[in-house]
Formats: sequence, structure tokens, C-alpha cells
Amino acid sequence: MFTHNFKYSLKTLFKNKTLIFWTFAFPIILGTFFNMAFSNIEKNETLSIIDIAIVENDEFKNNKVFLETIKTLSDKENEKRLFDTKYVDINEAKKLLSNKKITGYLILEDTPKIIVNSSGINETILKYVIDEITQNEIIINNIINNKIKNNVYTDEIYNEVMQKLESNININHIQNQNLSYTMIEYYTLIALACLYGGILGMSSVGKTQANMCSTGKRISVSSTSKIKIIFSSILASYIVELIGIILLFLYTIFIIKVDYGNNLILVILLSVVGSLTGLSLGILITTVLKSNFNIKLGIIISTTTLLCFLSGMMGITMKYTIDKNIPIINKINPASMITDGFYSLYYYGAGDRFYFNIISLLISAGIMVLISLFSLRRKKYDSI
Amino acid sequence: MIVFKTFLKVLNKCKGIIIFETALLIFFGGYNIETNDVSINFVSSNPNILIINSDKKEGITKNLINYIENNSNIVDIDENLIDDALFYRDVNYIIYIKDNFRNNFINNNEIGIEVKSTGDYQSSLAEMMLSRYLKIASIYNEISNSEEELISYIDNTLQNKSEIETTSKLNTEKLNKATVYYNFTNYCFLAGSIYVICLVLSSFRNKNIKMRTIISSMNYKKYNRKLLISCSMFAITLWLLYVLLSFILIGSIMYTTHGLLYIINALVFTFCTLTLAFLLGNILKNKTVINGIINVVALGSSFLCGAFVPMEWLPDYVINIAHILPSYYFIKNNELLKTIEVFNFDTMKPIIINMIIVIIFSGLFIIITNIISKRQRKID
Repeated sequence: MFTHNFKYSLKTLFKNKTLIFWTFAFPIILGTFFNMAFSNIEKNETLSIIDIAIVENDEFKNNKVFLETIKTLSDKENEKRLFDTKYVDINEAKKLLSNKKITGYLILEDTPKIIVNSSGINETILKYVIDEITQNEIIINNIINNKIKNNVYTDEIYNEVMQKLESNININHIQNQNLSYTMIEYYTLIALACLYGGILGMSSVGKTQANMCSTGKRISVSSTSKIKIIFSSILASYIVELIGIILLFLYTIFIIKVDYGNNLILVILLSVVGSLTGLSLGILITTVLKSNFNIKLGIIISTTTLLCFLSGMMGITMKYTIDKNIPIINKINPASMITDGFYSLYYYGAGDRFYFNIISLLISAGIMVLISLFSLRRKKYDSI
Repeated sequence: MIVFKTFLKVLNKCKGIIIFETALLIFFGGYNIETNDVSINFVSSNPNILIINSDKKEGITKNLINYIENNSNIVDIDENLIDDALFYRDVNYIIYIKDNFRNNFINNNEIGIEVKSTGDYQSSLAEMMLSRYLKIASIYNEISNSEEELISYIDNTLQNKSEIETTSKLNTEKLNKATVYYNFTNYCFLAGSIYVICLVLSSFRNKNIKMRTIISSMNYKKYNRKLLISCSMFAITLWLLYVLLSFILIGSIMYTTHGLLYIINALVFTFCTLTLAFLLGNILKNKTVINGIINVVALGSSFLCGAFVPMEWLPDYVINIAHILPSYYFIKNNELLKTIEVFNFDTMKPIIINMIIVIIFSGLFIIITNIISKRQRKID
């Protein structure tokens, strides 16, 4: 009976278009949207070449420090190139700025003056560099004054100081290289797919409940072992869910190029445990709530969306904000446990944090299954 | 009247999703509330920096810390959350000042400064700041006779700054906030309208009700028009709700011409979502399919057109695809609005064109709905 029901449960689940859409197609569609929307975010956040203009007046032409530094920073051959500079007259500079072709322009008068459209990071960097050049002039003057105790301008001292100012300071970077925060979106996507497995759990357990459908009524009055029917149906749902997760993994790894870290076995372990928790959540909602299929489907979808929202699906920093302010929410949210599990594998590698998430998921699944079992036991209906 | 009663009954069933979306909108709109009423003068973008100092805060060490503090936002983070904070960009740059930094620096020994950086704009600025200070300090260290003289040289040099002037007189922060809010309404209008209107229409498509309607003397165009008007009531209510929320969340900027244009643009788009929902409601027969379609259409349009991620950050091919969706023109207008300083025909022209395109989309949806509706009546 177990095999028979298992086989037909599999067939029924694969033929249910709504279930297949939510568990197979929707996470892949969402993953595609994520990829389209987020693929450029991190590239846009790195320092890129800033378009500027210099008003080429006599003051600028006669100022060696400004002239040479701007030239070096705009040199296409320079690895540390910062600016794409246009040397223009004041009217052209104003025109370029008003047409938003440049971030800002510099006029060298008694003091250097920068004109920008508004505040912003590129504008801040422009100002910072111009401040730096202004200060370089002062440093050179101070060094000359100190070294030769008169105001004779010597090329030797100038070159020596400029060389030092343009040299690199030894700053040791010790951060982890896995800093791509958009990965969180894909981890929440896997969490979403795991929790959507609850829809499959609902479908398989729902069909055995007399108050949900006519199949349930027939099963209830039959002499077949209920435990065999329920477990074979749940097993079939779990297998369908895992197939969906495998497809999603293949899609995210090979098409979207998501980085799950280096430990594939632990990634699989987390997905298997996460799917089990999702399935348990669906079974819990199905057994505890007394309503029809559509309402339960709506509840599972909205609960999953809310849990994924809290784990960072609609704003990457959400999970961190909750971790910082109300950590208990993420400790009981299965979507956050799954997301945090993948995050810890990616960022920190296998460790206590990862195993804590695995254990938390198993405990959550256990509690939900226990509650479901209690509500499934010894059901009697006077009338349906 | 029967139409309205039925409409209200179905609406009552859908209150969950409307409340959920409104809560999301309040969250996203409110997320930027923290920004102050900024002035129109230039404001530097300061990186978030965390300094972990193992040396005594004296002499050159103190001076370095003071310099960084004066030019950045110093953040205080729980020790256990430091790496998480870096990953989630709560801090852009972490500077580890080692024990004996001061002595090593003065004696020209290896200072061994360590940093953790996110690698973004802000962290690059932080690194420019730190290396700038260290370079200046090491140059002056060669000519200074004492630490006091060194610090005096550094301070005197670093206080020299250029002048900066902004040409725009716009309150960019508030306008940005309004744009983020109205861009997000793209999802709320689409999801809310399609969900509710499709459910209303699917109730009207009940076989018995439909058969009664077909044999009645009412023309199918008139029937569609009546349904469209009843659904319009809901769409207008949704629009009013989100406009009201924008006044609460965004504040003063909504009372200006910019605010009025955001509202008009949203109204035009609301009409378009209404016609799209009406079209989908006529196509979709299965109530369980509606949920899936809403998510694909609403999330798809929102992701592809820049409702969730700023339009300028989207890849070019995505922007090209987005041109075939009305959401693109709605969001494009929101983005244009935040840059307009003077309202005249030239500046308003692209906004009016985008609005016309959205209206053309609406007209197209109405025509397709009528064609489908006419065919379905014949088939039925």
C-alpha cells in the first residue's frame, strides 16, 4: 500500500500545475529577475573614472603642481586613473555641467574653486582630490622652506616630495574576499523554494483529511493504515520538493553563477534540512487550520513571503538590521536560518554558526511535525 | 448597485494582500525618513568607518583618530557583528591600529596598519583619507624635531581646503525619497490592482452569471465599460491611499509642483494598471492561476524597470527590454522629476511624452480586452 500510494502521489503532484508553478517555475523566474536587476549593482558601487573639466586659465597653466597632478590622474596609461578631464573655457565648462556631461569643474583663482551640480560621492571625491593637490603645494613649500631655509624653488626638492606623495602607503587588507552581498538575494530565493515545499506538504496531507476533499473522506472510511498513506504522501512530496531544489541549484550555479562557497556537501545538507522544515511548515498549517485549499495556499504563500522578507529578500540589509536589533526573530524564522546557513558557508566557511542553523532547522521541523501529528490523531467527524 | 455590492464583497476577501503591500510600501517609503531637511549647500559623502585602536590614544595616534573622526561617520558596532557589518555595508572601512603604532611611526619603523574594506566608493574614499594622512605624516616626520611639531605641520596642512559651490537649488535628498517611494508604488499598484480586479472579474465570469449576462440586451462594450468603471473606483481608492501615505512619509516636497507631478504621474499609471488588470482578468479563467500571474507580472515589471533597484544601476539590455513595459515610462518620469529645477515646456516635454506613452498602453489594453471579450462571447 505504501509503494502504491507513493507512486500515485508522485504522479498526482507532478500533474498539479499550480503546485509545479510555485515549487519549480516561480523560484527560477524570480531568480532570473534577481539576476537581471542585481547583476550590475556591485560593479556600480566600485570607484570608476569621473568626468571633470578644468577651466584652462593662466593661473592653472602656471601652477605646476595642479597641472602635473591632474595630468597624471587623467592619464589613460595610469592604473590609478581617476579622472577623464576636459580642458575648456568657463562657458564650455558651465555648459558641460548643466548638460550633466561632467561631475564638476575646477577654476583656479586665489583659492581653487569647484563647481558641481549637487552633493554626491563623485563630487566628494573630486573635492577630496582637489583638497589633496592644494595641500601638496603647501607640503612642497614647507619642505623647501625647511630644507634650504629660503624660498628658492628647486626642481630636485619638488620632484622628491612629489614622488613621495605619489608613492603607495603600505596598508594591509585583511578582509574576507567573499563580500558579494547580492548573494543574499539568491540565498533567500533557495529559502523561499524550501518553504514553498510546504505547498506540496499541504497537498499531500490535505488529500488525507476528510474535511478538505472527497479523497480524504474516502481514505478516512477505508480500512487502510492512515499512517502509511500519510507518510508515503509526505515522502512523495519531499522527493518532488528536492527535485525542484536541485533544478533551482543547477539554474543558479550554472546560469546565474551564484557562489555557494566551497563545501558542496554542506550546501546539500542545508538544502535537504531546509526543505524538510518547509514541508513541515506546510503540514502544520494544513493540519492545524480548518479552511479550504485556496485559503491554506494563500496562507502558506503569504507566510513564506513574510519570512523571506524578514530574511532579506526585498532588501538585503533587512536580515542584518533584525540581527542587530531584534535577533530573536531571526532565531525562530526558518527562512533566516536557511539564508544565514548559506551566508555563513559563503562568508565564514563551515563552522559553529552553520551547524547552529542546521540544528535550529531540525528542531523547528521536529516541533512542527509533532504538533501536526497530535492534530492528525484520532479525528472523528459527526458530520462533514 | 449589484456590481458595487459584489465588488465590495470580493474586495473584503482581498484585504490581506492590500494590507501586506501597504505595509511594504510604508516600510520602503519610511526607510529613507531618517534623512534630515538638508540644506542646498554641498554636503560631503562621509564613509562609515570603525577604528579599532590597540595603542594608547596619545600623540600622533590621537591625531590620526581625530582626523578620521572629523571626516567620516564613526560607527560603533558590537564586536561579534563586525564582519557581518562589513558584509552588509553597515561599515565601509575598518582600521586596526596596532599596539605601539605611535612609537613605530615616530621612529620610522613598520607601522603595520591593517584594514578591512568593502571595496565600494565609500571605502575607496576612506582609504584615500587614511593613506593621505599617513603620507603627509611620514613626509613631515623627516623634517620635524618633535611630535608636537609634526602634529602642527599635519594640522596646518590638512586644514587647507578648496571651495565648493553647488549650482542646483533642488532639495535632492527629499526628491530622491519621493522618487524611491513612487517607484515602489509601481509594484503596489500592479499587484493590488491585478489581484483584486482579477478576482472580481473571475466572480463575474461564473458560468451562471455569465450566461445571464450574455442573453441580456446589454452590449458587450457597455458591459465591459460598466465593469471598468466599477473597478476604477477601487483603483482610484488605492491611488488615493498611496498618495495620502506619501504626504505622511515624504512631507513638505509633496506640497510643491514636484509633488503634484508625482501624483499626476501615479494617476496616469493607475489608469494603465487598471486596464492591464482588466485585460488579464478577461484572459485568466482559473482563480488559482491569478496569484502566480500577479507575481510574475508585478515583480517582473518592478525588477526590470527599476522599481526596486535604481534605473541607472540596471544593465543596458534590461533597460532595452523594459521599454516594452508601461512601468518603464512611469518610473522614468519619477526619475526625471527629481532632476527638474525649472518647469517649462522644454523640461516638461519628456515627462508629457512618457505620460502619453502610458496612456497609449492603456488604450491598447482596452482594445485588446474588447477584442478578446467579443471573441469569448461568440465562443461561449
